Amino acid sequence: MQLRDKNASKAGLLEKAKQLRELTARYGVPLIINDHPDIAIAVGADGVHLGQDDMPLGEARRLLGPERIIGISTHNIGQARLAQAEGADYIGVGPVFPTGTKPGRTPVTLSYVSEAAAEIRIPFVAIGGITPDNVDSVLEAGARRICAVSAIVGNADPAGVCRRLLERISRYEAARESSGPAKSCEVTVNGRSVLTDAGTVAELVAQYGLLDRKLVVEWNGAVLARHEWEKTPLENGAVIELVHFVGGG
Amino acid sequence: MKRYDSQLEIGGTKLRSRLFLGTGRFPNPAVLQQSLEASGAEVITFAVRRVNLDSVEDDSVLQHVEDRSLVYLPNTSGAGNADEAVRIAKLARAAGLGNWIKVEISRDERTLLPDPLETLRATERLVREGFVALPYTSDDPMLCRRLEEAGAAAVMPGGAPIGTGLGILNPYNLGLIAEQSGVPVIVDAGLGSAQDVVQAMELGADGILVNTPVAKAQDPVAMAKAMRLAVEAGRLSAMAGRIPRKPYASASSSTEGALFGGPYAAGSAIEGRRAETSAEGLRR
Repeated sequence: MQLRDKNASKAGLLEKAKQLRELTARYGVPLIINDHPDIAIAVGADGVHLGQDDMPLGEARRLLGPERIIGISTHNIGQARLAQAEGADYIGVGPVFPTGTKPGRTPVTLSYVSEAAAEIRIPFVAIGGITPDNVDSVLEAGARRICAVSAIVGNADPAGVCRRLLERISRYEAARESSGPAKSCEVTVNGRSVLTDAGTVAELVAQYGLLDRKLVVEWNGAVLARHEWEKTPLENGAVIELVHFVGGG
Repeated sequence: MKRYDSQLEIGGTKLRSRLFLGTGRFPNPAVLQQSLEASGAEVITFAVRRVNLDSVEDDSVLQHVEDRSLVYLPNTSGAGNADEAVRIAKLARAAGLGNWIKVEISRDERTLLPDPLETLRATERLVREGFVALPYTSDDPMLCRRLEEAGAAAVMPGGAPIGTGLGILNPYNLGLIAEQSGVPVIVDAGLGSAQDVVQAMELGADGILVNTPVAKAQDPVAMAKAMRLAVEAGRLSAMAGRIPRKPYASASSSTEGALFGGPYAAGSAIEGRRAETSAEGLRR
């Protein structure tokens, strides 16, 4: 649960945060405070959510320490990559559709959801104009978590909307699990058998945190040039060597 | 006739230094860098290995030497046959640091001696693929000739098994190789100290590759400098031309006008035995 109230005074926000902390603690639900690390600290919230124009991630991390959750709104894959590189715990991806919560903002459409699903390794939450009627298309595009505001608080039966959204997410998760082995690949990396959900060689290298290293990739016995990494999909049984230079005579 | 100051040239590259330095087994990167500096080496060797996927630490050697202008000579250590050596060579070349490769193929873990047949096969293939191939080879003159015919840019006979520090076990062979070779001869492996380096150079080697005797010396930086001076001393000594070996003394002070008879008095009696022995006959 995220507390977001752009119009409340700081004192008012603090009061709401306290109440929400009590409530969420009772149900074991993580509480994220929008924009205000100080309030998050004051009420013992689980984390903060930052916008692109808010406090830089590094600074928020210094304030909040290593344990608290920090999420960032992103509106394109470049921002998503940066957030991931800077150590965000999750990102928001949106607004997917036009939304009353953020009027006038151009939607990023489902294609950005697909991009994020293919590349981003930290959790991402699709947000913006998502309702029980269109949520399938968002899940179809690869989202596994969604955030809804207007669809829930603007409905006479908020609990009912939540249940319907949850039911759709669970259905997609179940389908994902049953088709799981097809999506994950069993490959041999440096002599070790590895089960990975990386789609390409580039993603695999990124998952090991090695993209910025000087290394050479061998793919099934032949050198794979760096510019080929992104274009080479992983396949079951592939033998991959990630090598570099070490001291030797 | 070779000149003192002539430059070593391998695969079209002129080298300032005749000392090649291996980068393995140094106590830490700082000592490696200082040793490299002290050695004056321009060619450095290193190995191709799997990235350690369990460690976030970057143990790549390149980060410590990148800012120098060096010629990179990756080796194929870890290869047990020609196929594996060619694969490693291609991986090394893909790193974009040139096309030199030290062919190193071994199947015997106790001696790490190079497999001659696989080394020859790998050299033939690598030359065809456009590599500048420098095979590490046994000190066999015939094999070195075959490697040269296969297109090796230099031959690198070992003095003794890698890391043993036993020095030059077969100076006769090494002398023959240096005498016959049409490509540079770089003595690689098994040397222990500056003495061995001087000996190799005096035998006619064009250069030296050392790693363990520097990296594992008590003071690697001082030993690196000693190696540099030994290469120079050995080279000069070889060019200058040594005196022939003789079985008995010949006075370096003139015998003319000696105040007393002393050792020269019986001179005529041993004259016959003092005859010069041929240099060839006593060559070490």
